[in-house]
Amino acid sequence: MSATPTPDTGASREPLPPPASGPPDLEVRTGSFRPSHLIPFVPALVPTALLIAIVVELLISSKFTNFGLAFWGPHWIPSPSTGAPTFGIAVFITGSFLTAIPALLLALLIGIGIAVASTSYLPRWLTRWLDPFVDLLAGIPSIVYGIWGYLLVAPFFGTVINPVIYHNFHWVPGFGAPAPAVEGVGLPVAIFILMLMALPITTLLIRDALRAVPRDLWEAGLGLGATRWETTRRVAIPYAMRGIVSAGFLGFGRAFGETVMVAMVLNVVPAFPLNFYSGTSTMAAEMFTQLDSAYGNGQFLAALSEMALVLLAISLVVNIVGRRLISRFATYDVPGL
Amino acid sequence: MALPSSTPETGQDLLFDRSGRTQWRLGFDRAAGWLLPLLFLVAIIPILDLVYYVGAQALPTLSLAVITNTNPRDPYALGVPIESTVEVMLWATAVAVALGLFGGVATAEFLGERAAGWMRMSANLLVGTPSVVLGYFGYFALVLGLGWGLSFVAGATTLAFFMTPYIFRVTDLAYSSIPRPIREAALGAGARPYQYVVKVAAPIAFPQILNGVFLAVAIGVGETAPIVLTSTHSVIVPPTLFSPVTFLTAAIWLNFSQPPGPALALAFQAAFLVLIVVVALNIVVRIISARYQKRLEGLYQ
Amino acid sequence: MNAMTSEGPVLSIRHLTIQAKNKKIIDDLSLDFPPSSLTAVVGPSGCGKTTLVRSLNRMVELTPGLRVRGEVDYLGQNIYAPQVNPVMVRRRIGMVFQRPTVFPTTIFENAAFGLRLVHEDLEVIEKSVQDALERSGLWAEVKDDLDRPALSLSGGQQQRLCIARALAIQPRVLLLDEPTSALDPAATQRVEATMQRLKEDYVLILVTHNVGQAARVSDRVAFLHSGRLIEVGPTADVLERPREPLTQQFITGRFQ
Repeated sequence: MSATPTPDTGASREPLPPPASGPPDLEVRTGSFRPSHLIPFVPALVPTALLIAIVVELLISSKFTNFGLAFWGPHWIPSPSTGAPTFGIAVFITGSFLTAIPALLLALLIGIGIAVASTSYLPRWLTRWLDPFVDLLAGIPSIVYGIWGYLLVAPFFGTVINPVIYHNFHWVPGFGAPAPAVEGVGLPVAIFILMLMALPITTLLIRDALRAVPRDLWEAGLGLGATRWETTRRVAIPYAMRGIVSAGFLGFGRAFGETVMVAMVLNVVPAFPLNFYSGTSTMAAEMFTQLDSAYGNGQFLAALSEMALVLLAISLVVNIVGRRLISRFATYDVPGL
Repeated sequence: MALPSSTPETGQDLLFDRSGRTQWRLGFDRAAGWLLPLLFLVAIIPILDLVYYVGAQALPTLSLAVITNTNPRDPYALGVPIESTVEVMLWATAVAVALGLFGGVATAEFLGERAAGWMRMSANLLVGTPSVVLGYFGYFALVLGLGWGLSFVAGATTLAFFMTPYIFRVTDLAYSSIPRPIREAALGAGARPYQYVVKVAAPIAFPQILNGVFLAVAIGVGETAPIVLTSTHSVIVPPTLFSPVTFLTAAIWLNFSQPPGPALALAFQAAFLVLIVVVALNIVVRIISARYQKRLEGLYQ
Repeated sequence: MNAMTSEGPVLSIRHLTIQAKNKKIIDDLSLDFPPSSLTAVVGPSGCGKTTLVRSLNRMVELTPGLRVRGEVDYLGQNIYAPQVNPVMVRRRIGMVFQRPTVFPTTIFENAAFGLRLVHEDLEVIEKSVQDALERSGLWAEVKDDLDRPALSLSGGQQQRLCIARALAIQPRVLLLDEPTSALDPAATQRVEATMQRLKEDYVLILVTHNVGQAARVSDRVAFLHSGRLIEVGPTADVLERPREPLTQQFITGRFQ
């Protein structure tokens, strides 16, 4: 069967674009300005107001406390038996990155593969079903991922996958002793499920980016005797690079901020991981699990709020960079994006 | 190197290239044609496994009696969190729609491009913000700040804040997508802005906005952090306005690490309910939006 | 000195029929293309000339829903035979499209695109690129800065770059699908001059809706109507003394 499937450059997922240069001015400008003229505008401020309110609130509850250098240090001891508590969040920042980055890299790689398969190698009647299926992954609540992860996937990792890795790679630094526990909770499982959660985002964005490559360019590449793979790699992917980078940022943002699933599956301890199989903690997971313990403890609450600010700041930066690269309406009907 | 070779070559020679490099190129492409589609399985197998697992654990213990069991003295009654979830969602959706709907319309219709851009970016950033941060906001602002305590109102309102950006975005998009000729015809016929928004645009935008509400509800039902941090005790209590409330996801969170027994059963039952509601809503949303695309394209003719 | 052996046509279409659902886009068409020639394929809109040309390098397969029957023989080998890979066909039968489709990289990389798939030796590639650019008449204009972005060229230059890009992999046949329809008259004239030079060494098949262009550059004209070959012959004959009434109507402008 040597017929080549059509490169998929059909109508993009994006809804029909809004009118060219902004809506015509609906307000009727009469002579005198009355405050009531402002009323229609006010509701539009809601999202911005909310965002600002969150930032302000966190600043207040962290009491603008600058914990100094120790805040970035590795010691997180909110209730020491003796001495003053220390609140160093280095463990959590590391944990957040340690879980999100591998998950994102895997989600990008697999996402590119799926997107390429969907646009260049599979017939339309098939992808019409498969694509929404993958998108559905995004809609599954993280707590459901968590219970499945904790009770089914983690034991599977603990009894099957981790021992295999340990057996074959224990000579690699970080993959050696102590041997993985059978319960299986820890980094591998967390990274795997995080990858599943970021996958629909990367796949969707890269798929849209590939679909936006003009038909002409696809045909020009193929017409020069390039295989589907070569055309994809040398023509389409460079053209779609913006979308791919954006997928990387937004997928990372998703993984970085994931809270509940990680809290359930990572074997949360406020310490650096001993090796690849052990648990640690992330900012989001720690924030989630410790808030009620901090009740009444002003310093503890302030430290947690400050950590929330750090999490928010990183999340905002990642999102801003990621979103600038794509159209602003691009993800409007994707849950969680 | 210049001209095509002048020694007679047949088509056979030219079209069948046995050289190693070419064979490798063609072979690689064929392999990619098999391997890349297989990657779909990485997504599909886990979903199916997850749905099957949760269903298999929950269904044997589910029955009409279990679902409607709202006995407040039974700590594992499923009916209590179901009822609470419904009530929370009603409140949260109402507030989110109130804030998001007007905000979206205002942005789409009354703001200039630059200001609208800021608002949209804010909404996008809010959507991308980790839900635990929203939960903290709700905790400090409502639970502590306004003194509402861990309560129904705090939880539902925090959830409302979480849902608002979604409704805002979809309303903005719906109104912005109304074909220009329709808008200009209405205004040209002398309609005032309010009349246009309500009488002309709303019916057109309605399906899309409703769809967005469904999506926001799907997301809200599945959320854990914002509601747990602002409203849950470890005891299941039927809600009054200022008392704690147990959301379905909270029921999962509190019980998932219990040994097999009524507690764990409750966790699975709740997980199953949440899962099918969310998946069903997602599917409905997708179907409606596909139909809506066709209608909107019709409007452009 | 060139591929003009006495063995006959380089490309030979035999009873080609292309069908979409119930409609025949190409209807039992047979046509030969001799070496060192430029054949203009003309006809009213919708007569199938683009589909015909796209069937000569198996690009027609990219359009879903079309069934192709019949043979297209390249030097005696049917390109639609099951063992033949379209990738190989397109190395021997190149194509230039209606709009310039340069890739968003440098001039050099555009021209070298097809070469890089097959060769690794940079010297070989550079020589071929220069040769191809010379043949398409672009070398003099770009030789000083081949690393400029290709998109900074004018429309006509981009189209000649597309021609060079196609020539670089040394096809024997070059298909041109209305290559000047998006260009201004000056650029058109340059491309036509290029085509006239190239026809000595290649088999050129030119789809055009512009009868004047056919008159200017082609040796033979093939007139299509509703997917059927109505008339084919030396340019002067077909354009000045057409035998078929349909041809006559077209030439004198009834259809256009």
